[in-house]
Amino acid sequence: MSKKFINPLEATELVKNSIKKRRAKDNRLRLYGRIAIGMATCFLLFLFFSIFTKGYPGFFQYYVTLDIKFDRERIDPKGDLSDTSLYEGEASNIVNESLFSIINPQGRKAKKEARKIVSSGKDLRIAKLVKNDPSLFGTVTKVKFALDDDIDSFLRGYINRDTPESERRISDNVIAFVDKLSQENRISYEFSDYILKGSASGNPEMAGIKGAFFGSILTLSVCLLIAFPLGVATAVYLEEIAKKNKITEIIEVNINNLAAVPSVVFGIMGLAIFISIFGMPRSIPLVGGMVLALMTLPTIIISSRAAIRAVPPSVRDAAYGIGASKLQVIFHHVIPLAMPGMLTGTIIGMAQALGETAPLLMIGMVAFIVDVPNSVMDPGTVLPVQIFMWADFAERMFIQKTSAAIIILLGFLITMNAFAIYLRKKLERRW
Amino acid sequence: MSDKANDFKSLDLTVGDVFSKEARLKARNVNVYYGDKKAIDNVTIDIGNKEVISFIGPSGCGKSTFLRCFNRMNDTIDICRIEGQITLDNENIYDSNIDVVPLRARIGMVFQKPNPFPKSIYDNVAYGPRIHGLCENKEHLDSVVEESLKRAGLWDEVNDRLLSPGTGLSGGQQQRLCIARAIAVSPEVILMDEPCSALDPIATAKIEELIHELGNEYSIVIVTHSMQQAARVSKRTAYFHLGKLIEVGKTKEIFTRPQHNQTEAYISGKIG
Repeated sequence: MSKKFINPLEATELVKNSIKKRRAKDNRLRLYGRIAIGMATCFLLFLFFSIFTKGYPGFFQYYVTLDIKFDRERIDPKGDLSDTSLYEGEASNIVNESLFSIINPQGRKAKKEARKIVSSGKDLRIAKLVKNDPSLFGTVTKVKFALDDDIDSFLRGYINRDTPESERRISDNVIAFVDKLSQENRISYEFSDYILKGSASGNPEMAGIKGAFFGSILTLSVCLLIAFPLGVATAVYLEEIAKKNKITEIIEVNINNLAAVPSVVFGIMGLAIFISIFGMPRSIPLVGGMVLALMTLPTIIISSRAAIRAVPPSVRDAAYGIGASKLQVIFHHVIPLAMPGMLTGTIIGMAQALGETAPLLMIGMVAFIVDVPNSVMDPGTVLPVQIFMWADFAERMFIQKTSAAIIILLGFLITMNAFAIYLRKKLERRW
Repeated sequence: MSDKANDFKSLDLTVGDVFSKEARLKARNVNVYYGDKKAIDNVTIDIGNKEVISFIGPSGCGKSTFLRCFNRMNDTIDICRIEGQITLDNENIYDSNIDVVPLRARIGMVFQKPNPFPKSIYDNVAYGPRIHGLCENKEHLDSVVEESLKRAGLWDEVNDRLLSPGTGLSGGQQQRLCIARAIAVSPEVILMDEPCSALDPIATAKIEELIHELGNEYSIVIVTHSMQQAARVSKRTAYFHLGKLIEVGKTKEIFTRPQHNQTEAYISGKIG
């Protein structure tokens, strides 16, 4: 007999010994896995905790309640409630008079400082009120006005009254006025109606994400309308129709490469082609959406191709076998079966596009735009760019607004993903 | 033995009677290549009207490849190339002006693995008539579906759940559903590529019975690994070996008195 052969008893012993080692290895692997997941969860929780604790106050701000005498002749001198008439009116003065009657500022300097307590959007607020409800004229009504961002920061405790006056952003006078107002219970901390309904503004207390939100929706719509059909068509062509040869191989390699190209490069390309060559305007969601579509195309194509490849060949055989034409096979069988996978890829692409800033900076969507875009041809900005801009501003209040906007962006993203999962499940569940 | 082996080498022609009096499908000197590899070598055979013929032979002998030539399913494989002539009612199906869509409606196919569409039982059967525009209204389509399922022996089992998914049926039922789907477009020839290889003996028996019945209305070409099955369902049998058609004849004669030593070796279990 050969010497190399193992005795069965020895073999049992050897297996027993080796099992200990193997078990230890298994356990170690499990431990590493748990550590990794634990760390990832910690980071995630920390991220969410910090965003929500910082961002939550961003949804609230301080308001002051004042008794406003709605004098038609002063607010609406022409009496037709038109924008020019309301603009010519002296609503700001009425608000200031009401404020002065409470805090009673003495001297030119104190009066000048007192005028700044109420946010500069006060006249717009009055204009809006009387436009919605002209019956206010002739009455004296309590109206809430946003406080200036410095006062807001002071009330939140970011500005300390013990700091020497010269190093503070607000003077002793103003602190005294604010104290007086709080004594009279005129200051309240409430859900901000600017963060959701306001647009870009230099005054942080009036800044909101409405413009950016609609900009994002318009941009993403353009992106989806371009990238989804193009991506799916490309994937279908490459998988089902094109012959496998050198050219398709080169195309394939290039698509895979494009998926890894930094997004800012697409921005530069958009600037060079859409804006410089085709002469399209800057800052519009149409160009933004086109650039983002180029960026998301590779993702959609790659995942769609994978989804198409996963359609069992037996289904194609069955359809061809019964005499379906290529088009019928593709539209009746391949695309419906691949749709859940295609949608997943599209949503991943869209989520990427939603969070993208760099390429949009290149095509000028970083401009300061107050108006909400009504169409894809109106200049606008998008949520991540708005966040980027706010993060850059010096005023303390923008920090909370930035965090609040991040929460909104995350909410948007989660809603989108949830919708995608729902859609996928619904399509999959059919069979 | 050595004499017979030498005998075989010198023979390049098929033994037996390849021709049929009422031939619907005629294959003449067909060669099939996958790239450089020759998969079918100079095969000539007739398929008669309303005849069940089985193709037998060891794995890789090309019988499935040859079967797929009849409805041009090999067209979907890029590297596959076909020489020779196959005619259906004296019309060359590889002619450049022949469209594969109507051809495949005339020559249906049932595959090795049951492959119902991931749709309802009704939609599975109705798919063919729908895409070919065979039925002018819903009632007509309903009756076609019913008749097809009845012919496939499935109606009694599924008539109360036509809208439930076809993929939820058992393997044997799925295969009968595929047969119903194939006959719903009223083909003249049905090609079956090892239709029972994924089924248990009871389901197999049902399908075989069905093939037997369908043989009265359609020409059926069945590829099978099981010699017993070939003996049970077919009137004629063709034995393939390494891409060559070795012997064709009445099933009874092939299994009792094979003329060729290769055929004899295969049916007696020496090769394959």
